[in-house]
Amino acid sequence: MKLWQKISLLTAAILLISMVVYGGITVYETSNYNIRQTSSAASRQVRATAYALGQSLENAATEEMSDTARKAYLQFLLRRYSSRDYMLLQDWQLAANTTNFELTGNRLEQFDSYEPVAAFQQKNGRHLMIVGQKIPLSDSKNTSYQLLLVRDISEIYNNVLTQIGMFLIILGAIVAVAINAVFWMIRRMLKPLRDLRETAGAISQGQLDRRVRVRSNDEVGALSVSFNQMADQIECQMEELAQVSERRKQLLGSLAHELKTPMTSIIGYSDTLLHVRINEEQQKKALTHINNECRRLERLSGKMMNLLELYNNETIHMEKHPVRQLIGKVAELEKYHLKEQGITLETRSDDTVLLMDMDLMESLLVNLIDNAMKASKEGDTIYVEAAGTCILVEDHGRGIPAEEIPKITEAFYMVDKSRSKKAGGIGLGLALCTQIVKLHGAKMEIKSKPGVGTQIRVIFSEEQ
Amino acid sequence: MANRILVVEDDTAISELICMNLEVTGYEVVPVLDGNEVEGTLEKEENFDLALLDIMLPGKDGFELLGVMKEHGIPVIYITAKADVNSKIKGLRSGAEDYIVKPFEVLELLVRVEKVLERTGKQKEIIQVKDLEIHLSEHKVTRNGQTVSLKPMEYDLLVLLAKNKNVAFTREQMLNEVWGSNYLGETRTIDVHIGQLRRKLDLSDVIKTIPKIGYRLEE
Repeated sequence: MKLWQKISLLTAAILLISMVVYGGITVYETSNYNIRQTSSAASRQVRATAYALGQSLENAATEEMSDTARKAYLQFLLRRYSSRDYMLLQDWQLAANTTNFELTGNRLEQFDSYEPVAAFQQKNGRHLMIVGQKIPLSDSKNTSYQLLLVRDISEIYNNVLTQIGMFLIILGAIVAVAINAVFWMIRRMLKPLRDLRETAGAISQGQLDRRVRVRSNDEVGALSVSFNQMADQIECQMEELAQVSERRKQLLGSLAHELKTPMTSIIGYSDTLLHVRINEEQQKKALTHINNECRRLERLSGKMMNLLELYNNETIHMEKHPVRQLIGKVAELEKYHLKEQGITLETRSDDTVLLMDMDLMESLLVNLIDNAMKASKEGDTIYVEAAGTCILVEDHGRGIPAEEIPKITEAFYMVDKSRSKKAGGIGLGLALCTQIVKLHGAKMEIKSKPGVGTQIRVIFSEEQ
Repeated sequence: MANRILVVEDDTAISELICMNLEVTGYEVVPVLDGNEVEGTLEKEENFDLALLDIMLPGKDGFELLGVMKEHGIPVIYITAKADVNSKIKGLRSGAEDYIVKPFEVLELLVRVEKVLERTGKQKEIIQVKDLEIHLSEHKVTRNGQTVSLKPMEYDLLVLLAKNKNVAFTREQMLNEVWGSNYLGETRTIDVHIGQLRRKLDLSDVIKTIPKIGYRLEE
């Protein structure tokens, strides 16, 4: 069952029950009150009449009268007080009667009292009220008289029935109106929930830009706001995921492409060696090419592994190291390589201590210096300078055209492909550097001018 | 006169690979490493019969160079790492004669070059092997002007070997090229025909048996 149906039904049931209880009690109380009023009025009347009758009977010598005379006298006496309400009993026998009723004689003992007693009975579909008492007489009379007032009070009961009928009609009308109102209001109140459900469905179908309209600031409104925040978050993360997978795809595509060139050489030259008659010099050339290309593949796989490891970033050990130590180590590592190319490396550093992974930072600087070396020519100088949270690698080599700078950190991107290949580059160095810098929470700034040189700054965040 | 082929490929290793094989097989080759240098080369040197073009080149790329080649009436074969269908279609639609995907086998390169030359009518008319002349259009072999009679399959096999001098063929490759891929013959057939060629044409010292591979016509 739907929530609005449940709430409507529940509300209707509660309304109905409370109305019925309230109505029942009201009707019951009203009729009781009416009956009590009637009976107390009757009691007062009986008491007064009984007293008056007692006076008359005290003075009359009823014992000496014949039965017939006494009966006539009593009838006369009774009629003086009321033309139609009373019965007079003498020693529990009907002595005079002005009513239209017969005395049936059961349970008369209850009226054996000097105070009026009220009793009710039903006869032939009529409701009767009987109020009776003993007539007070002095002890000299050795007979007793009882006065009974008999009144038809069906009218009161009929009124009750009419009231109940009226009440039921009103109840029906109220409940009908109330159910409709509740039904409508609840549907209206739950409308945002239906919207929410619809939107959630749409989002799960992939329409990530769908949002709920917030109509109120009640609980449902708050839910809508939270829902929208959640949807924003999901959309944001999905976009990020899509970007990541797009980057992965590009990386894989570039990798496959990058593998093809060395593969072509290796397959081609080995095929040539196997099938084609070539002279010794050519054979040597072919073997050299195969050897070189295999080494290239080896470097490629090594760098790829590094990059993958960095993406997993489980193997990172952050510790505090003086930058001076790092730069000294890197200079030592590059010493031989630099000498070979006839390039000078000048280093300068202050006493800053930075939180870093020594191995990764080493690899970062080696990569940057290697790039600088590839851009420089014999006799040039490369500067590495650490000051505060900034490490600068500067060369005065060929420089990078401005439009290429944003692309050079992409994997396998090379500004001058044939040249960097000759220099042994595979186009992963800066991608690697970018990842290392990211893992350190640092950023990398590249400034370059063709023909003037390149400056790369690695800037650590100030909190360190 | 050998066929002259222009090889435009930026990777030196691959460029040397292509040139080495084409030269050994009897072509004359001019390598160019940069897309921007192609036009200069074409102005200096004439008479190219075919161009092998890499698509991704520094300077002008392969697609741009195709127009230049067309102006000079040089048929083009693309050699590229782009193996996707769209690139192939684009290459062939734009008017290239053929499309070779890296990595390729030497034999594939040679056969495709040969077929394109044949199709574009740039193929040499006469192939010289020792004192023999093979007249391709007339389907005959002469020695000192005298026709030597060969069976059709013997002739086809000789042409295959002579066109790809210094390249070894396996028996399966030879069956495939000469008898066609549907032929279900035994590789023994090849040995028999080679024996016939050696005997009839006195080529025992030229058609060499290469152990574990097959045969090669060496010159």
